[in-house]
Amino acid sequence: MQLDPSFIWTAFVQLLGAIPTTLSITVVSVGAGFLIGTVTALLRLYRIPVLSQIASAYVTFIRGTPMLTHLLLIYFGLPVLIDALAVQLGWSFRSVSIPMIGFAYISFSITAGAYMSEVVRAGIQAVDRGQLEAAQSVGMTSFQSLRRIVFPQALAAALPNLANSVIGMLHGSTLAFAVSVVDINAQAQIVASTNWKFFEAYLAAALIFWGLTVLIERIAALIERRVGAYNRGGVA
Amino acid sequence: MGAPFDIGYIFSFLPKLLETLGVTLLIVAGSLLTGLVAGFLVALPRMYKIPVLRTLSGIYLSFFRGTPILIQLFLFYYGLPEMLKLVGLDLTRAPVMFFVILTYGLHTGAYAAEMIRASVEAVDRGQVEAAYAAGMTPYQAFSRIVLPQALGIAVPVFSNLVIALLKDTSLAFTLGVMEMTGKAQTLGTLTQHFIETYIALALIYLAISFTLERLLLAAEHRLTRHEIRERSGGATWFNLKRRSTYRSLLHNLPDVDTGKGGRI
Repeated sequence: MQLDPSFIWTAFVQLLGAIPTTLSITVVSVGAGFLIGTVTALLRLYRIPVLSQIASAYVTFIRGTPMLTHLLLIYFGLPVLIDALAVQLGWSFRSVSIPMIGFAYISFSITAGAYMSEVVRAGIQAVDRGQLEAAQSVGMTSFQSLRRIVFPQALAAALPNLANSVIGMLHGSTLAFAVSVVDINAQAQIVASTNWKFFEAYLAAALIFWGLTVLIERIAALIERRVGAYNRGGVA
Repeated sequence: MGAPFDIGYIFSFLPKLLETLGVTLLIVAGSLLTGLVAGFLVALPRMYKIPVLRTLSGIYLSFFRGTPILIQLFLFYYGLPEMLKLVGLDLTRAPVMFFVILTYGLHTGAYAAEMIRASVEAVDRGQVEAAYAAGMTPYQAFSRIVLPQALGIAVPVFSNLVIALLKDTSLAFTLGVMEMTGKAQTLGTLTQHFIETYIALALIYLAISFTLERLLLAAEHRLTRHEIRERSGGATWFNLKRRSTYRSLLHNLPDVDTGKGGRI
């Protein structure tokens, strides 16, 4: 078998159609993960009795196990749970009406939430405590000082890690093949299955992922320069 | 979907999955070794700023950190034999394990390179100058002064790297290697007790990551015992640390982190 450069292009064009699926999984999991992560991080930072222990257990479990096992557990476990509840509570909703991509969304959001909680926590802890004290001494409430003073600075500090998490979830979305979602990776397999030119197809897929990753890095660098503006030295 | 949930199966699956633990650990150990060698080779041109090689290692880093490990696995498995056929090497009969360890090794190498470079650069310049002033040779200065300190800085990142690698090995089943995840899928298909198998699988991964983390934490404490440890501030209602200056904010971040936060 010889390398067929023209098929790389053919595969590349066919793979473009799967980019929206990959991106939607990434965006949903990062978005939901950020919300879960922020709540989890705050629970742990404020040391709220029972909830903070639950949050720690959640983070430890997710970070200690592969993302694939989360997906498989949700895929096999969630329908059982939902159907049992539906019978008990008399819902008309059944697990079969959950689309395949729904499992990917739910599972990857849970995964991202645990990693995001560490990112958010590190970001908040990077803010000097004097900032919070100053905010309260000028009469802000706890919520105001968090929202106006701590979060904007924490976000700036957390950006590099946040970008890494986004890239991690982009790469993690390739696991969606396990629940028959056709993302870029699964599409590469499909494209190649007709003529067995797997190498060419995966080369095209790798190029797309490489491009997307570099794009995310560039955007993150741009935002970083923008939100870090207050912290720049010099006179101009 | 599948048979009804029975917690007893979790316990009966544990020993069956542990039979394949050796394969998983072999992949981890093999690729860690490959990765550290590759990482060191790639980090050198970047640390010493060697013209052409530096660009090449930059491309290597960008590629292996910019594409998913799953894609890399397939790429190497299907592509490497064809590429090497051009130079007259026949790899078509090489065991799958070879490709798996090579791919994970090169993937880990990219993160290891950043870890090595960042740790060496994190050692204060004045330390090397002081070593020279005391009459040490460059080799002595590196092995006696820089290396011990860099090791302490590198251990937390290394810990993340190993755990991430362990979790990544769950993808090796896609090439047909019978490691723990592959075994779990087989068990699930045979008995139809999918949930129980995956819970057992998750528990084993959790136990290994936890053990590895503890071991490396102990190593870190041993290697950084020369440093004065900061006492964690007493009972504050909100767990923010006090930093020396306002502007040190962004520079106080763990900039040694290579971004391999242990995903997948």
